[in-house]
Amino acid sequence: MLLSNERKVADMREAFGQTLVELGTLIANLVCVGADTTDSLKTKKFGDKFPERMFNVGIAEANLVSIAAGLAVAGKIAFASTYAAFLPGRCLDQIRNAICYPNLNVKLVVSHAGLSVGPDGASHQQIEDISTMRAIPNMRVLVPADATSVRHLMRRIVDTSGPFYMRLARPSGKVIYREEDDMFEIGRGNVLRDGKDATIMACGLMVVNALEAADLLERDHGLSCRVVDMFSVKPIDKELIEKCGRETGTIVTIEEHNILGGMGGAVAEVSAELYPVGVKRLGVLDTFGESARDDEIGSLFEKYGLSAMKIVETVLHARRQERK
Amino acid sequence: MYAIRENAGQVCYAMGLKMRYLNLKQQIRDVRMLAIRGIAEAGSGHPGASFSAAEIMGGLYFRKMKHDPLKPHWHERDYFVNSKAHSAPGFFATLAVSGYFPISEMDTLRKLGARLQGHPVRYSKEQEKHSVPGTEYSGGSEGIGLSVSLGIALATRLDGKKNHIFTLIGDGESNEGQIWEAAMAASKFKLANLTAILDRNRIQQDGFTEDIMPLDPVRDKWLAFNWNVVEVNGHKVEQLIEAINKAYEVKDKPTIIIANTIKGYGIKHMTNNPQWHGKAPPKKHIPILLQELQSEFLIAPSIIAGQRENYEEKIRIAERSGADMIHLDVMDGKFVPNITFFADTIRKLRPLTSLPFDVHLMIEDPLEHIQEYIDARCDIVTVHAETCTEDSFSVITSELLKNGISPGIAINPSTNIPSWLYHHLSEIDVIIVMSVNPGSAGQKFIPEVLPKMRTIGQDLREHNFVGYLEADGGIDSMTLRDVYGAGARIMVAGSAVYGSSDINGAMIQLKHTANVALERTLLENASQIGTRSDWLKARKHILIPFASELGIEEEIHAIK
Repeated sequence: MLLSNERKVADMREAFGQTLVELGTLIANLVCVGADTTDSLKTKKFGDKFPERMFNVGIAEANLVSIAAGLAVAGKIAFASTYAAFLPGRCLDQIRNAICYPNLNVKLVVSHAGLSVGPDGASHQQIEDISTMRAIPNMRVLVPADATSVRHLMRRIVDTSGPFYMRLARPSGKVIYREEDDMFEIGRGNVLRDGKDATIMACGLMVVNALEAADLLERDHGLSCRVVDMFSVKPIDKELIEKCGRETGTIVTIEEHNILGGMGGAVAEVSAELYPVGVKRLGVLDTFGESARDDEIGSLFEKYGLSAMKIVETVLHARRQERK
Repeated sequence: MYAIRENAGQVCYAMGLKMRYLNLKQQIRDVRMLAIRGIAEAGSGHPGASFSAAEIMGGLYFRKMKHDPLKPHWHERDYFVNSKAHSAPGFFATLAVSGYFPISEMDTLRKLGARLQGHPVRYSKEQEKHSVPGTEYSGGSEGIGLSVSLGIALATRLDGKKNHIFTLIGDGESNEGQIWEAAMAASKFKLANLTAILDRNRIQQDGFTEDIMPLDPVRDKWLAFNWNVVEVNGHKVEQLIEAINKAYEVKDKPTIIIANTIKGYGIKHMTNNPQWHGKAPPKKHIPILLQELQSEFLIAPSIIAGQRENYEEKIRIAERSGADMIHLDVMDGKFVPNITFFADTIRKLRPLTSLPFDVHLMIEDPLEHIQEYIDARCDIVTVHAETCTEDSFSVITSELLKNGISPGIAINPSTNIPSWLYHHLSEIDVIIVMSVNPGSAGQKFIPEVLPKMRTIGQDLREHNFVGYLEADGGIDSMTLRDVYGAGARIMVAGSAVYGSSDINGAMIQLKHTANVALERTLLENASQIGTRSDWLKARKHILIPFASELGIEEEIHAIK
């Protein structure tokens, strides 16, 4: 595999902000709207470099995404960014009617998605967004696994006309891809590790846990597990889901999202229709999260069933069920 | 510049706006007709909002906005964002009259497979089956369009372009917090290329706005958000247009035009009635409703009547008494025996009022003097057939049209329509059929003119004349009824107004007479098409004050 073995740590938001500046330098038509979180989202860098192309609308998310829609109406590639709790949390209607219905060239890139927001607690832990965003026609939903993915996907979404929702996590995460691993195609999953006994499909920060689980399953149980980075939740890689079902049987999904309607839901829908196998979904069990200090995020994941160990247990359990 | 005077918080504007006033009124009338027919055909839709905003959208699309129906994506176009999108039938009708799509398509409104969706959809290649060219914005969810307009305004300004962005918002819509998010941001960004127009009709779905969620003092709210605020009567298109002209002059902030309107304006029983926010009229009423929309009348007091001179005072009184226009009779002592005043007087009177100036030239060789009347900023200029040849008339009309003035022609009681006029019917907006021999005020009405007026009216309609018939001479509350019946829709009233000791009362009497004539015509029509009892029921609260004159007291009181 063309993957980074060093497992450095990097910040997705930094990657986003930096790539935005790079793309802004190349594309004069690119503009950005922020909502009093530009420092945190790292879009401030773009604003410092191109002050006339950056618009800070204050704490007003409905205005944020609707202004982005207007900018796109007049021909701009418009980025709108803030925390996932509020975008889409506070402006679902505007995203649906002002952006998706007219299919405008607006890129919603948000951070602080999932439980890993940490200290701020459940009010800020957005765990419903994949579900709501993927239910809107014309919207495409991306959940990158690391900073490198963010950089590659930024280029893809700028090159592809129409609305995108890309969700980033707050904490720095381990780097999975190398810069030269330009293997990102909208609508395709990336097979990070091959295997024949089960497939683990993950997105976002959970991809690292999936890789770790596959290591454990091989080391402790002699199982070879395929690991797929399902960064493109919509459109989703139907072909790959069918192929994995056929070749490995059991599919286990894991995501930093409510168990209902997320990436796992999308995989289960496809699998049930194209090649039914046992699909086990891991995610937040339809409950709200809670605060945790930054150094407790690992424990928070464990508490809510999002750890590598949980994946291991689930794969073993699923395989036992399959044999019955 | 036109004189502007502040008056109790309301800004009044003088006319002379170069907008071919009568023609614009006809186009707006067409919009209402198409909208109500479409709604009735669809069986649902929002007549109230379509009608309250008809002048707003008409003033923009037919006069002020830079746009081209043949090039909907023209880069230099002005944008119109219909944020209160439930005015869709009126909006679509405005696009149809502008030429964005065939007028006949209005009958497909809200039907399966139609391009005219319940709420307009932004036009694009992929949505071409559900949208029409000229639609910039997909509305339907309230409160979003103003923010989208901000985005457009920011982008076009960034590109150094001159496009102006107009956004129609509603007063019910202003309940949405996002309106105020946008209000804050637009003044932050100093978006002088953005003009919002508030359709202040005071009614929302559940009832009156001030009961559901009070919006007043709305003017103070927008001022506090640091917008340039202009308040107008939203059914006086001349005030709207002047307000837009003022908005163009402001360079450091966005403008909001608070257009005080009446929901359902145009069809009396739908007027100011929350019931008609989102209800369709029955299909069988369509012919009567269309007739009502075509029956709007304008009363134009003639200031040479009554005591001589003191024109200023007469104009002020007319305006206060609810006159629709001011009629100015210019007499030169040659074509007619008397002399009244000329263009210099009109120029002096012009700044006194916001009402249109309906100028009637009873002079020899009008061609020689036409430029003076153009310069005096008249809104309608009518010349006599007896003083023109086809050639001179055609030069006069083309000069008037070039200057945005409604051209008219007048004929004396003994004169017939000249045959050459039939080639020019699309260029003229009004035909005055004199019911006295012109030359002085206070003459007696010549009743033989009535059959002539009726015949001319019918004949001209057959030749596709869409303008107004104007009755001038001896019009009082008795004869008004007859000329209305003969097809006149502009009534020049002289002595009947200024000869009275109670001018206000005289105006009310004239309007009442015209309204009785209108209701009688509509009721006759309803009887003819077999919907009399149904019409009486729908119209009951309007007809009660007219019941005795219409002889329908028993019928009306029998309705439960």
